[in-house]
Amino acid sequence: MKKFEYIIRDQLGIHARPAGLIARRAGRYRSRITLRIGGRPADAGKIMSIMMLGARCGQTLEVEIEGEDEDAAYEGMKALLEEIL
Amino acid sequence: MKDKTFGVLQRVGRSFMLPIAILPVAGLLLGIGSSFTNETTIATYHLQRLLGEGTLLHAFLVIMNKVGSAVFDNLPLIFAVGVAIGMAKREKEVAALSAAIAYLVMNTAINAMLVLNNNILENGSLAADMLKGTIVSSCGILTLQTGVFGGIIVGLGVAALHNRFYRIVLPNALSFFGGTRFVPIISTLVYMLIGILLYFVWPLVQKGIYALGGLVTGSGYIGTLIFGLIKRALIPFGLHHVFYMPFWQTALGGTMEAGGQLIQGGQNIFFAQLANSADIAHFSADATRYFSGEFIFMIFGLPGAALAMYQCAKPEKKKAAKGLLLSASLTCILTGITEPLEFSFLFVAPALFAVQVILAGTAYMIAHMLNIAVGLTFSGGLLDLFLFGVLQGNTKTSWLLIIPAGIIYFLLYYFIFRFLIRKFDFKTPGREDDDSEVRLYTKADVRARRESDGNGQAENTEDLDPVSAVITRGLGGKCNISDVDCCATRLRCSVYDEKLVNDALLKSTGASGVIHKGKGVQIVYGPQVAVIKSELERYLETAPEELYTADHPVSGKNGTVVQSILISSPITGMAGDLTMVPDEAFATGMMGDGAAVLPTDDMVVAPEDGMISFVFDTKHAVGFETDLGISLLIHMGIDTVKLEGAGFEVLVRNGQKIKKGEPLLKLDLEYLNKHASSLVSPVICTELSANQKIRLLKEGKIEAGEALFAVDFYKERTKQHEKI
Repeated sequence: MKKFEYIIRDQLGIHARPAGLIARRAGRYRSRITLRIGGRPADAGKIMSIMMLGARCGQTLEVEIEGEDEDAAYEGMKALLEEIL
Repeated sequence: MKDKTFGVLQRVGRSFMLPIAILPVAGLLLGIGSSFTNETTIATYHLQRLLGEGTLLHAFLVIMNKVGSAVFDNLPLIFAVGVAIGMAKREKEVAALSAAIAYLVMNTAINAMLVLNNNILENGSLAADMLKGTIVSSCGILTLQTGVFGGIIVGLGVAALHNRFYRIVLPNALSFFGGTRFVPIISTLVYMLIGILLYFVWPLVQKGIYALGGLVTGSGYIGTLIFGLIKRALIPFGLHHVFYMPFWQTALGGTMEAGGQLIQGGQNIFFAQLANSADIAHFSADATRYFSGEFIFMIFGLPGAALAMYQCAKPEKKKAAKGLLLSASLTCILTGITEPLEFSFLFVAPALFAVQVILAGTAYMIAHMLNIAVGLTFSGGLLDLFLFGVLQGNTKTSWLLIIPAGIIYFLLYYFIFRFLIRKFDFKTPGREDDDSEVRLYTKADVRARRESDGNGQAENTEDLDPVSAVITRGLGGKCNISDVDCCATRLRCSVYDEKLVNDALLKSTGASGVIHKGKGVQIVYGPQVAVIKSELERYLETAPEELYTADHPVSGKNGTVVQSILISSPITGMAGDLTMVPDEAFATGMMGDGAAVLPTDDMVVAPEDGMISFVFDTKHAVGFETDLGISLLIHMGIDTVKLEGAGFEVLVRNGQKIKKGEPLLKLDLEYLNKHASSLVSPVICTELSANQKIRLLKEGKIEAGEALFAVDFYKERTKQHEKI
């Protein structure tokens, strides 16, 4: 299992479009990817689930990855978050 | 067999409720009308100038009096129609019409027999040898007095004929008269014969009932007690109406002369005496013994039981118990409807119900012994006590005696209930163990309980009609049908999407042609169409919510559609596919597939029944899960996240259950048009699986609640292989 934290810099937080991008990227990997804000979990493969986090600018997003391709997923998710959030 | 008999009796009892429901109003009109047009009353209270003859108010009260009487005078007809409606399984309006016809036919047949046999002379007067009161004018027809019995005979018989014949298929030449049209026809023929038969039989029955009525009346106070016990004990079964009605309405409850006429039935006698109250010193308690006692336990006794239950409630539940018991008591006191109170202890403590039956039964007898003669229209509440007791005066009704008797009954109920509840720890409202919620039981609970106890009667086991299933399929499935009707030869249907209609399939059901007019589809069957329509409507009541698209060329790569779920538009505006969204993420389907609407109205409503998954902090997007399990993202406008909530008003909260059409958000269109980069609003299914595809149903103008797109479920081939 691999984990990292990311502090959201985007002023608008995770709204529909970033949620869509995250879900689509997460769907590429076989690993199970879970996002957490303040302990509340969300399935990174589901747009609705991500949006329900209501993640805002300045909050810390925990990303937890578990599965056979977790190294690739780790790099991929990290790069995506840097790029869009 | 026993269950079936019980089920039928139960329905009969229930079917009496519709005609009975008119009685309180009619009684109110009659009671007020007759009380304030009564010359003695007017003179006693010196109201000549206000209410005397010739005043406007007097005229109005006379009208009220006559209107009220009209209902009581025509009770047989009202029962005939009401019972037919209650007992008919489907197409009840046809049964109602048939019952009205049958009632007129039956009485006319009797009249004709009476005239033919010289029982009624040519000048319209009665032959000398006819018993008084055996012939009355009913709906203008001089006929044998069959009373409410006659009405019930018509209602039950017509309903039986209706249930047997409303789907009859006649030979082609006669098929116009098939189906529901056959019911009034057969009813007319049958009741003509029944009328003739009654001419011979009814006089014998009349003699028999007179004798039996005399026996019951002769049995005195004990008879009253037995009547009271049986009536109260029948309440939970809903059968009490079958039992007491004859005593109230027919010669079984005794006969008496009033105003020069022979009147039968306790309630009828009271009202006849009321109409002629100037000549009567005291109303007959022998007539009112079937109901006067009810005032004692409905206004006083049962509320005493309610007080006991309230006091025995656990401290932390007293407040909830109070709300329930108070409203049930008020209903009981005011209108005399006891079921809400009685059902609150009937299941948890049948022993308490036994106590109630015994106490109430004796109340009838006590009232009889005390010569209390207060009439009622429906049940023993304050309203009736006031109209038919207080207003008529103590000298005629002895109504004042109800008060001391009532106080004794209040105390009896209170102490017996309190003692028994505490002693046996009955779980009356407010005493239940913590997992069950405080509530009163309803009739529905009684029924549910009874059906789960016995082998519940299964009414809906009739097999589904295969022809209707094919018609439904041919019309594109139940979800595609908006309306079904028929004319003389054609089944006329309206559909949502005419492209889903499959003519070949429709023709295979025996249609000689299919005609399209926009969203209207006419299927030509010939005169037997009435039966086909009835069958189709019956089928559609229980048919699955589906949409068939098999007619479309979708069977290529994707396979066949096994199910479709419709998603309606959450707002009024212009609809289109996602490519009309000026945002790449949505337009390319990255967020999921769906459709878009450009709002022209400011109210966003729930597209289907479902639940609010979340409302985004900035109010511009709502996550929604339909009851059928489709996750929707309703995203109002593009880049509206940047407005940080301005221009939106949220009307729901997270996790809220919601019905289709209920408001979600209100838009400030003026503000949004100025500040949002676009108002085109995608409605997206975010969690579609590989076998689910979106099919747009509407382009251009759309109303909120109109079908926007369908989610088609395709047959999953891989899974089928695995099964093999």
